[in-house]
Amino acid sequence: MAATASEGPLSRALPWLVPLALIILWQVSSSLGWLPPNILPAPTAVLQAAWLKLQDGSLVDNLGVSFARAMSGLIIGGAIGFSLGLLNGLSKRAEMLLDPTLQMIRNIPHLALIPLVIIWFGIGESARLFLVALGVFFPIYLNTLHGVRNVDPQLIEMGRIYGMNNRTLFLKVILPGALPSIFVGLRFALGVMWLTLIVAETIAANSGIGHMAMAAREFMQTDIVVLSIVIYAILGKLADSATRALERKFLAWNPAYAKV
Amino acid sequence: MSSQPTGGSRVSLKDVKKAFGDNVVLQGIDLEIPAGQFLSIVGKSGCGKSTLLRLMIGLDSVTAGVLDAPALKEQAARIVFQEPRLLPWASVKDNVAVGLGEGQSGQAADQQAAAILDEVGLKGREGLWPSQLSGGMRQRVALARALVSQPTLLALDEPLGALDALTRIDMQALLEGVWQDLGFTALMVTHDVGEAVALGDRVILIDHGQVVLDLAVDLPRPRKRGTPEFAALEGQILDKLFGDDPRAREAH
Ligand SMILES: Nc1ncnc2c1ncn2[C@@H]1O[C@H](COP(=O)(O)OP(=O)(O)OP(=O)(O)O)[C@@H](O)[C@H]1O
Ligand SMILES: [Mg+2]
Repeated sequence: MAATASEGPLSRALPWLVPLALIILWQVSSSLGWLPPNILPAPTAVLQAAWLKLQDGSLVDNLGVSFARAMSGLIIGGAIGFSLGLLNGLSKRAEMLLDPTLQMIRNIPHLALIPLVIIWFGIGESARLFLVALGVFFPIYLNTLHGVRNVDPQLIEMGRIYGMNNRTLFLKVILPGALPSIFVGLRFALGVMWLTLIVAETIAANSGIGHMAMAAREFMQTDIVVLSIVIYAILGKLADSATRALERKFLAWNPAYAKV
Repeated sequence: MSSQPTGGSRVSLKDVKKAFGDNVVLQGIDLEIPAGQFLSIVGKSGCGKSTLLRLMIGLDSVTAGVLDAPALKEQAARIVFQEPRLLPWASVKDNVAVGLGEGQSGQAADQQAAAILDEVGLKGREGLWPSQLSGGMRQRVALARALVSQPTLLALDEPLGALDALTRIDMQALLEGVWQDLGFTALMVTHDVGEAVALGDRVILIDHGQVVLDLAVDLPRPRKRGTPEFAALEGQILDKLFGDDPRAREAH
């Protein structure tokens, strides 16, 4: 972090300068014909494609489908990972029973399961849901477990001395103590979630942003292909910002997350 | 609005022994601590001070002998550790409310918390996070949390050990003032012989699991360090603590 950077408008604009310059360069190269549209369409062409897809409604439809898939996978895989993380964090016996197996499975890249998943589920909705859920499961599980395990034992002793029952101890001491780590897991999970969805939709789907990109490829509609990529980038950025906002709200006590 | 006196309760130990497995930590401890007394406990590291403290407030049970402390039956014993052990995610007020126990909330609880925060000099800081407080202020919150339920017996295990010298002096005065206002029985472990003499009605020295010195401190409060009487008491304790080793004494 630059110690001398001031809070002026110039320093706030600074991070945008390079992307802006790149887009201008891209536009100019396209307009001058250095970049043929079948390799990379001009930014204006991508915007035009976005406008067209917005008007015929297909962009919103595909976006909705992709978003719903991402969220359902996140909720299913996240809920299971969170619950198992809590269970294994709170019970030594459960951890001994389950954790070694989970640690072993963790080493398999979940995308390597795609052929098997297609055999099991076909190319339907459940296949994609399974992959996304599996992908987000591990980061959430590992970080929840780690968070619960690392709650300051002195605080737990303090809670017991003050007569907290298990429920109160969990709600007031263990869960808040594990929360920063759980958020780390959530951030990782969001990255995995989009990545898995892109792969799953690109390989086998008849709707969604990934499908939109693959369909456009068949007709060499590079503008729509680029549009899809941009949309994925925006979705990823939005998810990240949402997590940051949640962190600022729930971890306000922690100087590391306090609003600057 | 300040806190009402709560009064103290006595503690009595008869031939108390504490062992962890084969390791006998305390043996033949006989102590009568009258209600409201401020007892300072000193001794070398590892001699069993914390263990004695934990026994007296019921965090551990005796291996043999009899420990009688009415405060334990009334759940009116509390402890303050060297580290404040505050919940970082709870405001000052909510941390103090932890001391009220389960299901204690609402206006009465708020008033009790506000009164005790006033008592320890933290009025107006109710809404801050622990990370926004200095070390001394954090320890005051811990003290308020321990006192909010009006205990009659308060154990302090090196409560000022982590603070810098100037803050320590402030906090000693605060501790003495709070104790005088509320009247609980105080049991304080400290490494600092001067602090033990400055605050205690009585100082006991533990060595090899036994009470080897039991000294009444009959000086008017607030006590001035450096007076001949004060120095004489300090000297007596240090002599017993270090025997004839002049270098160890010098270092203290
Ligand atoms: N829970 C325990 N299990 C086993 N041994 C213990 C336990 N608690 C204390 N001991 C032992 O009892 C002895 C006295 O420990 P204690 O903590 O009471 O010393 P202390 O006087 O408070 O030391 P210090 O000044 O360093 O805090 C030590 O030898 C320690 O190893
Ligand atoms: Mg100790």
